[in-house]
Amino acid sequence: MSMRSTLETLERVNSKYLMFHAKTSDTDPGDARFLFSAKDNLTSKDMETCAGSRILEGYFPPFDATVIARMREAGGKLIGKTNMDEFGFGTFSTNSGLEVPRNPFDLERACGGSSGGSACAAAVFEDHPSLGVSTGGSICCPASFCGVYGIAPTYGRVSRYGLIDYGNSLDKIGVLSSKAGDLRRYINIIAGRDEKDPTSCVQPELKDERTPVRSVAVPKEGVEGLSKNVEAAFTNALDELRRMGIEVETVDMPSLKYAMPAYYVLATSEASTNLARYVGMRYGRQDGDLSLKFDDYFSDVRSRYFGDEAKRRILLGTFTRMVGYSDRYYSKARQVREVVIDDYKRVLRDHDAVLAPTMPFTAPRFDDISKMSALDSYKADYLTVPANLAGVPHLNVPCGYDGDGMPIGMQFVADHWNENALFTMAEDWEKEFDLRRPEVSA
Amino acid sequence: MDRETVERVARTAHIRLTEDEIARYSSDLAEILTYFELLDEAPGNDRRGINPIEVADVLRDDEPRMEMDPDVLLRDMETYERYVRGPRLS
Amino acid sequence: MKIGLEIHVQLPTKSKMFCSCPTTEAPGPNTHVCPTCLGMPGSRPVLNRKVLEYGIMLAKMLGCKVADTAWFSRKTYFYPDMSKSVQITQYDNPIGEGGVYYLGDKPIRITRIHVEEDPGKTKRTGDLSSLVDYNRSGIPLAEIVTEPDMKTPAEAREVLKSLIEDIRTVLDIPGDGERSIRCDCNISVGKERVEVKNVTGLKNVEKALTYEVVRQSKILKAGGKVDRETRRFDEERGVTISVRKKEFEADYGYIDEPDLGVYHIREMAESIRIRESPQKMAARMAGQYGIDQKMAKQLVNTSVDLAGLFENVAGKHGTQAAVKWVAGPVSSNWKSLDASGADVKGVIGIIDRFVAGEITDTECGIEIKCLMTGEDPEKAAEASGDLDKIVSDYLDQNPGIVDDYRKNEKAANKAIGFVMKSSGGRYSSSEVVDAVKRLIESRL
Repeated sequence: MSMRSTLETLERVNSKYLMFHAKTSDTDPGDARFLFSAKDNLTSKDMETCAGSRILEGYFPPFDATVIARMREAGGKLIGKTNMDEFGFGTFSTNSGLEVPRNPFDLERACGGSSGGSACAAAVFEDHPSLGVSTGGSICCPASFCGVYGIAPTYGRVSRYGLIDYGNSLDKIGVLSSKAGDLRRYINIIAGRDEKDPTSCVQPELKDERTPVRSVAVPKEGVEGLSKNVEAAFTNALDELRRMGIEVETVDMPSLKYAMPAYYVLATSEASTNLARYVGMRYGRQDGDLSLKFDDYFSDVRSRYFGDEAKRRILLGTFTRMVGYSDRYYSKARQVREVVIDDYKRVLRDHDAVLAPTMPFTAPRFDDISKMSALDSYKADYLTVPANLAGVPHLNVPCGYDGDGMPIGMQFVADHWNENALFTMAEDWEKEFDLRRPEVSA
Repeated sequence: MDRETVERVARTAHIRLTEDEIARYSSDLAEILTYFELLDEAPGNDRRGINPIEVADVLRDDEPRMEMDPDVLLRDMETYERYVRGPRLS
Repeated sequence: MKIGLEIHVQLPTKSKMFCSCPTTEAPGPNTHVCPTCLGMPGSRPVLNRKVLEYGIMLAKMLGCKVADTAWFSRKTYFYPDMSKSVQITQYDNPIGEGGVYYLGDKPIRITRIHVEEDPGKTKRTGDLSSLVDYNRSGIPLAEIVTEPDMKTPAEAREVLKSLIEDIRTVLDIPGDGERSIRCDCNISVGKERVEVKNVTGLKNVEKALTYEVVRQSKILKAGGKVDRETRRFDEERGVTISVRKKEFEADYGYIDEPDLGVYHIREMAESIRIRESPQKMAARMAGQYGIDQKMAKQLVNTSVDLAGLFENVAGKHGTQAAVKWVAGPVSSNWKSLDASGADVKGVIGIIDRFVAGEITDTECGIEIKCLMTGEDPEKAAEASGDLDKIVSDYLDQNPGIVDDYRKNEKAANKAIGFVMKSSGGRYSSSEVVDAVKRLIESRL
């Protein structure tokens, strides 16, 4: 499909899948070299940026996120801002205050989250890189559910300037695409030091080179609690890897079970401070009654425009950092992160990557999601959370389909800064794997 | 989490809760905190670990400059004679 | 009674703490602002190196132990002037801890010093809403916390005054009035501690504390109990008012600031040399040169440059020469430098020639005076000759004064009084004092 025809059908395609919150109305690609989309928590000058929240409705950022600026400089044309869980708070993109994207393989099912709209766009459009953001698995989860490749690079590899924060010690910007090669290509465009984000200024150079994976470690803890079809697809995938000459070894990573609570404590502690700035002044919704006392005015606006999950995580995060509780929760979680990092480093001394399924099940139906408790959906992230907590790069590759034709993915994890092992693995895997594209009729 | 704690946390966080919400969040958060008890048995570590990688000594020189036209920043803000409008103070 | 202070001082950087916005006077409200100091979604802080340097300088000045590694914390609280509803500050590892500050001989223990960002400024409007100017948002502050080592409001004011002078010298901050000093004052007359928040200026600190002394004493005398609480000072009425508890009961929920990382500041701290504070300089000079505390203080208080000149001459020609010339005619003519614009370093050459025996005692005094005031040396010599003659004649007639002077310097007063009177106001008192002392000392 040409860039022009993509632009011409954008409106109709979007009305079917709801991947974009804001989108371009241009039908002429001009001198663009490629089209791309970006998660709606990345600020863009020309498009409303809400991070999936009603509290930010009407926010037109006065500056581009560094990643968007770098994509534009490389000749990219931003076609839309992708729908997501409010501020990234979710596993299915159903916690959006705006529109909920639909799975291209089955419109009754979720895209995964929180970069659901990005995974949807990457699956639906050909040759389409979409920028996503991962805090606890928000790139690999939707990539898995929508059957595309997706990478969350090392924490600090890509500047977060212009990212609307969820958890600043966890957030990573990455790329989703139906083509493995796009991950390398576009990460190379957006990565690198940026003086506007100190955490991006300590990285070693990302070299464009092949680093073949010769051995992978499969943690016992990563193959527990899987649905039958995921387990079967993963077993087949391991066989395929062995056929490719890659050594597969089962290992113990006892710290992984602590990663989940540690992640949720750190993520919500940080999130509750990041979201404190949304008080109905300066940007987004500014329509409260200013004659109220500030405490009441702030509470009023926040209660009105934050969604259910945002409120839950604000409450949880405010609690876990309160005097009297922060030692038990916040400080301990910070220590557990170090333990998990050590565990990865130990295993990655002898192996090039750690491998497990990305999600324990395939994309669920919307009506099943509505029956899940908050804790149920948190627990669904148990396979993606540890790598995110440790800030190590991780990449989803599609590895099979269930009986309903829904995609299944697996996640490779490499050591800090070793994205090349993941790129190379995905490129090699792509040659052996028969990727299915969803039928797109618009 | 008991009702009183939920109310206190909500007040600190500037979130006003309805009766329904208080009931729902108390039970959700109680369930989640029970799960978090796993942390009590988790091993500890001496490192501070503010970030998952070490971010150290990134500093800026003390050189003043305006990054952006302030008028553009105020464009969508509710203002009065360039002051940002806010709620009552007391 | 115990009084402790938490003092906020703006640091004299050219740009803000976490963004490049200028810190100079802004042309209008919200003109020195950017996404970072407005707390816009997606913006990020980048630390100004100079803030750490100034923080270390103050920590050293206060004799604090400087941390090896520094990091920042987020303090969450809601107020319209706090653009992120989060203040980036230092919580569990201040830049300096455990120092001591001397007011004369009296030690005031310093608990800690940390750096943080200032919020914006609010003002009230007629229709009860507020207006906010974020120009001040992100200006770097140092917060200095003392132990409750002060005993009276007057003493607290003295400590604050001298501390601020020292800070200005060490950081080279031009004196811009006392309004820029903001203080939280803790005072307990009985057992319970009361905090008076955000008092601006020296006078108000003393007033607010005095008001609290009276208020708390009355309650205690009547057999009542002072509430442990936070109050604020109403400048117009000169009273402190209880702040509704809820407002300061906030649970700040400190966490680390992950956008900045950590700073290994040991090397930076080792390489930073600070200018000595006036108080310390006086104390050191008294000890080092064996001069009177009063003389040392007078030199330093007149000017740190004068004290420096004293050290220079003492180093070259010994303390005696420095006392005789620098603490004598150089000091008494110091004020005339403003008008004459002379380079005071020239006196060193004059003293050199005196020590080398090239000029006499009297000539040396005249040359110094003329250099500093810009007067014509011949006229001065004539006048001085007259003055010296009057003094010498008087001392010839009253030799007992020289003997008395040995025991008590006040003996010179008799001669000074006589010369002032008999010369009919032709000479300034400092000239007469100089001449009398110099001539008495030459006869000792």
